[in-house]
Amino acid sequence: MSDDEQTLDERLAGLIGKPVGSRAVTVAPDPVNVPMIRHWAAAFEDHNPVYTDEAFAEASRFGGIVAPPLMLQTWTMATPMITGIAARGGSPVAMEGEAPLAVLDRAGYTATLATNSEFEIDRYLRPGDVVSASTAFETISEEKNTRMGKGRFVTWVTTYTDQDGEVVGRQRFRILKFNPSGAGS
Amino acid sequence: MTAADPWATRDAGTIAVGDALDPLIVDVDATRIVAGAIASRDFMPAHHDRGFANTQGAPDIFMNILSDTAYCSRFLTDWAGPEAMVTRLAIRLGVPVFPGHTLTYTGEVTGLRREGNDVAVEIAFRAAGDIGDHVTGTAEVRLPN
Repeated sequence: MSDDEQTLDERLAGLIGKPVGSRAVTVAPDPVNVPMIRHWAAAFEDHNPVYTDEAFAEASRFGGIVAPPLMLQTWTMATPMITGIAARGGSPVAMEGEAPLAVLDRAGYTATLATNSEFEIDRYLRPGDVVSASTAFETISEEKNTRMGKGRFVTWVTTYTDQDGEVVGRQRFRILKFNPSGAGS
Repeated sequence: MTAADPWATRDAGTIAVGDALDPLIVDVDATRIVAGAIASRDFMPAHHDRGFANTQGAPDIFMNILSDTAYCSRFLTDWAGPEAMVTRLAIRLGVPVFPGHTLTYTGEVTGLRREGNDVAVEIAFRAAGDIGDHVTGTAEVRLPN
């Protein structure tokens, strides 16, 4: 096993800058569109008229309908394969190969807790925009004592671009991978 | 903003550090959690299937993170108005939210600065649930000057 040939820290350092999923870039299956915006606005009862009211949006500083800014992550979410989703542990699609963070599971950090989600929005999306997302590991901390147990914080950055390759926003997402047997110690 | 025009954008000149945002109260039930998860295209069964959530050690389905950021942006723009642009949102996740809980979003202005033709308004906020803070965070919205 290569796990034995390299220290854990060396293996983790090797992940920085590498893709988090099985693909380096995910292209949204559908362009930004009004039906999905309307569905989203209804679900969250967000009645902001620049999302759904054409006349209001045209008279606003946006000059037309814009997508809710925090819908950014939604456009590139995986289209799920419903059959077998529970058997895959909730993963919407089958992972190709081993997940990069399996190295942490083997080191005893088997449990996962999401801790932070941070967005920077460079521009609002409009109907017709096609969003791509590329996600890479940014940092993996040294071992920390947390109230959940001993763990390491893993941060990845998703860069969202449009059909012209221009960056429209970024998301930093942080999880704690921890050893559940050490809780409270 | 006046009652007659609920969709007027807040006048940046009237905002001061320390101003409180209008609170947002969200009564959470299973329908709301499932609607938010599917509208955000998050099909993780923990957000729609109680039996699956139980196998993950949770007593019930719980709200997904994309719904959290969605409600945060609604809280910000319900207060700031439709021409506000959310340019930054950073949340720290606290305790989960289950059906039957109530979320109360509160926040205050922590900073103001000019940014081109806009005024950037910095905000600190939290969403308190039945068993503790569900979300705490900071954000920036930009308003026409």
